[in-house]
Amino acid sequence: MMAARGSGRRGAGSGGSRGPDPQEEPPPPLQAVLVADSFNRRFFPVSKDRPRVLLPLANVAMIDYTLEFLTATGVEETFVFCCWKSAEIKEHLQKSKWCRRTSSNKVRIVTSDLYRSLGDVLRDVDAKSLVRSDFLLVSGDVVSNINVSAALEEHRMRRKLDKNVSVMTMIFKESSPGHRARCQEDDIILAMDSTTNRVLHYQRTQELKHFRFPVSLFQSNIETVEVRHDLLDCHISICSPQVAELFTDNFDYQTRDDFVRGLLVNEEVLGNQIHMHVTAEEYGARVSNLLMYEAVCSDIIRRWVYPMTPEMNFTDDETQSYTHSKHNIYRGAEVSLGHGSVLDENVLIGQGTVIGSNCSITNSVIGQNCKIGDEVILDGAFLWNGVHVADCVAIRQSIVCDEAEVKEKVKLNPHCVLTSQVVVGPNITLLEGTVISLHSPDEEEEDDDEFSDDSGVNKEENKVKLKGYNKAEVGSEGRGYLWKADDENEADEEEQRQSLWGPTLNPEEESETESDLSLGSEQPDSRTASPQLDDIKVFQNEVLGTLQRGEEENISCDNLVLEINSLKYAYNIGLKEVMQVLSQVVMEFPLQQLDTELDPQHYCVMLIPLLKKWSPVFKNYIKRASDHLDALSAIEEFFLEHDGLHTSIAKVLMTFYQLEILAEEMILFWFSQRDASDKGRQLRKNQQLQKFIQWLKEAEEESSEGDQD
Amino acid sequence: MWYVLSLKCLFFSSLFWQTDVLVLSCDLITDVALHEVVDLFRAHDATLSILMKKAHEPTEIVPGQKGKKKPVEQRDFIGVDDTGKRLLFMANEADLDEELVIKRSLLQKHPRMHIRTGLADAHLYCLKKYVVDFLAENRSLTSIRSELIPYLVRKQFSSPTSLRQGQDNKEQDQKKDQKSLDIYSYVKGDSLLEFAPDKSCWNGHSIDLNEALHGGKVRCYVHIMKEGLCYRVNTLGLYIEANRQVPKLLPALLCPEEPLVHVSAQVMDRGLVGSDSIIGSSTQVGEKTSIKHSIIGATCTIKDRVKITNCIIMNSVTIEEGSCLQSCLVCHNAVIEKGADLRDCLIGSSQRLEPKSKHVNEVIVGSEQLMEI
Repeated sequence: MMAARGSGRRGAGSGGSRGPDPQEEPPPPLQAVLVADSFNRRFFPVSKDRPRVLLPLANVAMIDYTLEFLTATGVEETFVFCCWKSAEIKEHLQKSKWCRRTSSNKVRIVTSDLYRSLGDVLRDVDAKSLVRSDFLLVSGDVVSNINVSAALEEHRMRRKLDKNVSVMTMIFKESSPGHRARCQEDDIILAMDSTTNRVLHYQRTQELKHFRFPVSLFQSNIETVEVRHDLLDCHISICSPQVAELFTDNFDYQTRDDFVRGLLVNEEVLGNQIHMHVTAEEYGARVSNLLMYEAVCSDIIRRWVYPMTPEMNFTDDETQSYTHSKHNIYRGAEVSLGHGSVLDENVLIGQGTVIGSNCSITNSVIGQNCKIGDEVILDGAFLWNGVHVADCVAIRQSIVCDEAEVKEKVKLNPHCVLTSQVVVGPNITLLEGTVISLHSPDEEEEDDDEFSDDSGVNKEENKVKLKGYNKAEVGSEGRGYLWKADDENEADEEEQRQSLWGPTLNPEEESETESDLSLGSEQPDSRTASPQLDDIKVFQNEVLGTLQRGEEENISCDNLVLEINSLKYAYNIGLKEVMQVLSQVVMEFPLQQLDTELDPQHYCVMLIPLLKKWSPVFKNYIKRASDHLDALSAIEEFFLEHDGLHTSIAKVLMTFYQLEILAEEMILFWFSQRDASDKGRQLRKNQQLQKFIQWLKEAEEESSEGDQD
Repeated sequence: MWYVLSLKCLFFSSLFWQTDVLVLSCDLITDVALHEVVDLFRAHDATLSILMKKAHEPTEIVPGQKGKKKPVEQRDFIGVDDTGKRLLFMANEADLDEELVIKRSLLQKHPRMHIRTGLADAHLYCLKKYVVDFLAENRSLTSIRSELIPYLVRKQFSSPTSLRQGQDNKEQDQKKDQKSLDIYSYVKGDSLLEFAPDKSCWNGHSIDLNEALHGGKVRCYVHIMKEGLCYRVNTLGLYIEANRQVPKLLPALLCPEEPLVHVSAQVMDRGLVGSDSIIGSSTQVGEKTSIKHSIIGATCTIKDRVKITNCIIMNSVTIEEGSCLQSCLVCHNAVIEKGADLRDCLIGSSQRLEPKSKHVNEVIVGSEQLMEI
């Protein structure tokens, strides 16, 4: 085992320093910036007693995992930036193997109380010019066994080929949606160029139902844009020194998200790009909330982070030696297990822990020097060091911190947190999501107000407020204050106001509600389902509108023609249809003003001025022989539909003829058409029409005679 | 207009069709192995499978085109899954409002989606019978390409609950609103398949059947042509381009024994006719006339000392002595008189060009024809 680990590390180390070209000078030693502060309060009140990076994850502090990862991947110098509880972190590191002389990774600790964000840290890196070349940027709560050398080489190649355009390579792990290590808070969606691995769009999902991608992403010469929702952000990035400079230039960048967003939005201006590296086999996750704490802890015990498993004891701490047996049971030295107690699977028990009889323990982590009574059920429990659990206690999916005490017959429902030295019980059941701390929540608020002017006043008030523990909440012998998990009124105040565990992930349920919701919001469907007007119908309405406006505002015929033409193109209407629609609209025009439509006399009186007025419009469209016939058939159709107006057909045709819109031979041709319907024939028998036709024939004969003369 | 026609056709013939349908556009020229599209359709028990290809960069100059035309054509965004076969997403730039919106539920099922923009639809569709039935009752859908296909693609990921709702609605207001009918109401489920997910042993995700069982009832697939010829001749530029490409493929594909120069054509100087030129039947080509990279129709008369390069000449065209045509498109029955010099021109049918006339990059057609365009 030790040999395997040793060789693995050596391989990684040499991989990191392997240059692309032997003739070139080897790349400078790899540096890393480790930010040992989260700059948020997701772990409050747990992190009130201990900084987050020192919280035990399978009985080993988180920062040790991060440092082990950095060392294994070939980092030779690490800057650890501390802010909150920096002294404790410093002390921990100085005791650890990382500060020994033999360590291949030189750890340098930089502390300052002035850091308020990742941005401040990187600005400090730039100001002190700590980094000489590309460096790894991680936070102190990353657990990973990724070998970044491949990603690093890609990153260096890109920078060499593209003249430092790419400033950062982010490392992601493939994991399908709904994976337990993908907490909703950190869930991301991104768009990438699949040929170059360039990040085009990066966004937190934030429970959005729809994701929006600017169309401009697709405009450039990228053949395939890949939208990926199967990635877990490992929060490991390979940065060039430019990153620190960019943070200095943009003093509003607080987090890495700000930086990424700023870079992607201003890509065209600044010309900087971000690339990505995806790993499928290796493990990488950030313990960003308690849900992730639970997930990562389980993964460590299930050996996903191999070679960083508990029995490897990579911290070289004597108290951390474990034996590994089947079903992932790890036992430290001097562990005693009572008669009839069962360790089911995935259990880690720290040194010096005593477990009573008839206990059932599964999927749990128990720290050092814990005392566990009889008939205790632990399922998914995370007990830290020195925890006392009395008889007949049931703890499910909860965290019990250092030296806390759980009295007899207490039941902890999922997602409870007891911070250090809290006592609960006896005979009490804690509801799901209960958080109990020795620090009063009011005290915490006072911390919040650190910068406000009236903080002094608050302090005094708080001291007054401090009173005894509420026995109903923590039990008769209990010690601790109940923290309200979710206060709706203050929910929007700051992110730490969210429940400590973060939103639970329930992929099955979620996807269902998702589709239900999406069903409701499917507007495109309703659009296609709504009755669609025929294009010609729409066109007819538009022409009618145009003519009405023309009538009211006295618009010249030229402009009307122009408008109708543009409508014709807009609705893709053929000339023939335009002709028919136009005739129909004009013929029906007077009907809209008439209340009773069956008055031929009145109708003619109204129609004829209109025809006179719009004759240029007609002339514009009626040119070829077929146009004449189309117009005539449209007129005929109109009269067929309006029986009462039959008598006026002759007058209307006469007007058309006199205005020289319709030629006489065309009217005659139309009249003699054989394929007319019965009704059409009826119409042609109209006396006045007959007379008109007769008159036309005579006129023609006369004119032709005239021609002969 | 083609879409409307085709949909009406589909509707009228839906009464007679008993099987699945293949719909294709009449302006499609391709040497794709059709079975690839159909195999996709059958293997995945798909609702729809379509053919796509990489869009062509317009290389040929279109006669009479003024200035450089930018590719203003609106792009399609095509989302396919990791295998490149399942069609997940489809949107046209014209329908978008600066942003591409993708549903979360879609990405949850298919977390990796490749969105491609450089693809053109070849207008070849395999449709299930029930889609035709659906069309028959949904008269509001008028276009396959712009309405039916996006509708089906979208419907893939709406939840099965819509099925129930759809049926409830159907009973309530069937007479009122026929159009609200869902495609799901037409999907003919196999009663055996419904039991399959529960009753069968666990099967690996690699088997196609798995997709058929769990991939929703409506499934759309796309076959993307990587190489080979595929043209939709729907613009003048593409028409010219296709005419250039076809002679190269003609001998291999369509009629190996038929020569490019028709037997009945009378060509005086065979040597001056390029090997990639086609000459139609009963066409007469005079002495010292050179023909390169060109296609000449039937019953044309081409006199002596004519130079024809990169041209498409339709049937019954007369070209008099000493003319010179370069990159021109000449329509039926046109007459080009002696010594005309034409470059990048489009000559309409039955046009007569004056002797010694010279034209560059012009469209020469009668005014009546222009109206039709």
